[in-house]
Amino acid sequence: MSVESIAEKVRSGGRVDRAEALTLYADAPTLLLGQLADAIRARKHPAGVVTYIIDRNVNYTNVCVARCAFCAFYRPVGSDEGYVLGFDELFQKIDETLAVGGVQVLLQGGHNPDLPLEWYEDLFRAIKARYPDFKLHALSPPELLHLSRLSQQPVPVVVRRLVDAGLDSVPGGGAEILVDRARRLLNCESKATADEWISVMRTVHQAGLRSTATMMYGSVERPDERVEHLYRLRELQDETGGFTAFITWSYQPTNTELGGVEATGVEYLRTLALSRIVLDNFDNLQASWVTQGGKVGQLSLAYGANDMGSIMIEENVVRAAGAAYCMDEAEIVRNIEDAGFVPKRRTMAYDILGDPLFRERDIPRRTELAVARAAGDTAVPAELSRYPARSRPGKQQRDAVTES
Amino acid sequence: MSEDVTPVVQKLVDGLQLSEADWARLIGSSDLIALGMAADAVRRRRHDDRVTFVQVLEVPVDGEQLEGPIPKQTGEVRVTGCPASHATAVAAVRAVVAHAGAVPVTGFAFADLDAVSGHDRNRLGTLLGDLRAAGLAQLGEVSAEGLRDPDGALAVLRSSGVTAARVTLGTATGDVALSLIRQVASWEGVGQVCRCLAPLPRVGPSPPSTGYADLRQVALARLLVDNIESIQVDWSRYGPKLAQVALTFGADDVDAVPVAGGENQGWRRSPGEEIRRNITGAGFTPVPRDGRFEALDVDPGSERRAGH
Repeated sequence: MSVESIAEKVRSGGRVDRAEALTLYADAPTLLLGQLADAIRARKHPAGVVTYIIDRNVNYTNVCVARCAFCAFYRPVGSDEGYVLGFDELFQKIDETLAVGGVQVLLQGGHNPDLPLEWYEDLFRAIKARYPDFKLHALSPPELLHLSRLSQQPVPVVVRRLVDAGLDSVPGGGAEILVDRARRLLNCESKATADEWISVMRTVHQAGLRSTATMMYGSVERPDERVEHLYRLRELQDETGGFTAFITWSYQPTNTELGGVEATGVEYLRTLALSRIVLDNFDNLQASWVTQGGKVGQLSLAYGANDMGSIMIEENVVRAAGAAYCMDEAEIVRNIEDAGFVPKRRTMAYDILGDPLFRERDIPRRTELAVARAAGDTAVPAELSRYPARSRPGKQQRDAVTES
Repeated sequence: MSEDVTPVVQKLVDGLQLSEADWARLIGSSDLIALGMAADAVRRRRHDDRVTFVQVLEVPVDGEQLEGPIPKQTGEVRVTGCPASHATAVAAVRAVVAHAGAVPVTGFAFADLDAVSGHDRNRLGTLLGDLRAAGLAQLGEVSAEGLRDPDGALAVLRSSGVTAARVTLGTATGDVALSLIRQVASWEGVGQVCRCLAPLPRVGPSPPSTGYADLRQVALARLLVDNIESIQVDWSRYGPKLAQVALTFGADDVDAVPVAGGENQGWRRSPGEEIRRNITGAGFTPVPRDGRFEALDVDPGSERRAGH
C-alpha cells in the first residue's frame, strides 16, 4: 500500500498492520505522521486536556547483576560506588515529594542479589504504614522476574506478596526492545526475554494492577523491530487492557558500554507519532522531556502525546547516560498552555486530581533534578543487616555493619 | 480549538495564491503541524530537498589571532564581537583574511558598525568599503530589531558593495517577532543584500521560548518573507534537536556548525558527520557551503538523502 492509502486508512479509524506501520515509519513525511497522530490524540482527548503527575523517580539501588550494555547507571556487586538507600532516606524523599504535592513514588533499581524479597515487602509495608494514601508505582517486570529467581517463588506469588505489602502499580521499564535478537545484542536478554517481559506484565494485569509500557529505541534494533515491539504491546493490551500509558525514549549513549550516538529529535517525533498510530488501544502517550529536553518534549504534544509525564523531582538513570534536563510543575504547565492545551494533574491511573498545584500554593521552583545520593556517600543502611546477602561482597558488608 | 486550515495549506501545496482571508486564517491558526506543512510546501518550491550548512570557525575581534592551519572542513571564518573602532575592525579583518587563505571571512553586526561610525551613514559607508577592501566576504548580520531606517541601511550596504549573511530579529519573540517578520517582508530589495532571515532570537529570552513558539516563528518567517532566499537556524544556539526539527518547518540553511566537536553539538561524532546525519534524518539532502553561500565540493556519494 502507498503512504497515502495507509494514511487514509488511519484517518478513517482503521487498524494498521505491521507492514503498513513499517511503510509509514520509513516513508511518510514527518509532518504527515504528526498530523495523523495528532488527529488520533484529538479523538481520544477531545477536551484538549494534557495531563502530568507529580511524583518522584527513586532508584533504591544501583547495584545490578544484569549488566545491560546500554546502561550507565548500574554498578557491579562489590563496587565502591554501589549503594542501597535506607528506609529513612526513602521516607525523607517521600516527605519532600509530599511537600510539593506529590502523590506517588516511581521506585525502580538494579537487580541487587543482596536484597531479598523480604526487604521489598518490609519497605513497602513501612511506607504504607507511614503514608497510607501515598502510591507505590514500583518494580519493572525484569525486577519482578529477578525477585522470582532470587526467592525461588513463581512470579504470581511474588506479585501477590508485593501487592499484599503495598504495591499499587507497575512501571513498564526494562522493555527496551521486545525482540530477542536486539536484547541479545544489548546483553539484556538474560534479565528478561521479550516473552518473559510480556508474561510478567500479563501476570501483573491479571493480578488487577495497572502498568505502563515503554520502549527504548535507537540502540541496536532495526526499524522493523521497533514496529514489532509496538505490536507485542498492542496485542497484550488487546488481551488485558492493563496498560494505562506508553512512553518511548531514545537510547542515551554517554558513559555506556555500548556507546554510539543518540537518535535525532526528528526520529523521536516520528517514533512517537508511529506509536500513537499503532497503539490504538492505548489511551495515553507520554512525552519524554527528560531525554529530549523541554522544547522537543513540548513538541511531542503535536505528535501524539497527551501527557507530559512526571515532574520527576529526582532522576538518576538518564542523567548517568548524559541527559540532565529539568522541568518543574510550573515549567511543565507553561509548556502545556503555550501549546494550546489545558493542564491537569493526574494519578498513575489517569484520574484527574485538579488544576496546577503551584497556582494554589507556594511551591519553590526547581531548576535541577535531585539525585539518589550525594556523590561519595557510601553509607550502608543499618537495617540491611536484618537481611541475608547472597554475594560474597554483600556478606562481608553485612558482617561489617553488624560488627559496627 | 483552532479553525481547520487544511484547505489553505492545500492551496500552498498546489502553488495557488492565498487571499488575505486565507493568510489571516493561517497565521492565526494554533495548528502547528498545519503551519509546518504550509511552510514546508513553500520551502520545497524554493529549495527542493536541499539543506545547506556551514562549518564556522569563530575568532573574537579582540582576542588572540588565529594560529596554525585552518581545518579543511571550515567553510567560514567569522570575526565575532564588537570592534572598538574603525581601525580595529579593519585590522582584525585584514589579519584574519591573511590567515584564512581561500576561506571566506565574515563578521560584525550592522548596528555595531553603525555605532562605531557615530551613526553617520557616510562614515559607515566608508567603513564598510574599507572592510570589503580588507577582504570581508559578508557582513555577519543586520538586526531588524531597533533598526530605525531599514531603507537607509540597505542603501548603504548596496552602495558600499557589501552583502549581509542574515537579517536577524534580535531578541524578539511572539507577537513582536511576528511584527518584525512582517516588516522585513516589506523591505524592498532586501534579498539583493541579505541572503537569509534567521527568525529565532539571538539571545535566549527569559523564560526561554518554547518549542512550539520557535517552530511557529520559523514557519511564519518562511510563509511571510518571500523577498529573502533562505530561512536559517543556528546549530550552536538552538542545539541539534530543535535545529533539525526546524528544517521540517521551513528552514533550509543551518548556520554555525562548529569546526571542532563539542558535547552541545551532538554526541561522539564530528560536527560535520552529525549535521549530515541530522539533515538526512529530517528527510533532506545536505549541501555544505562556504561563507559566501557557495556550495563546497564534496564526495557526491556522501551526500545522499535518506528515507522520508
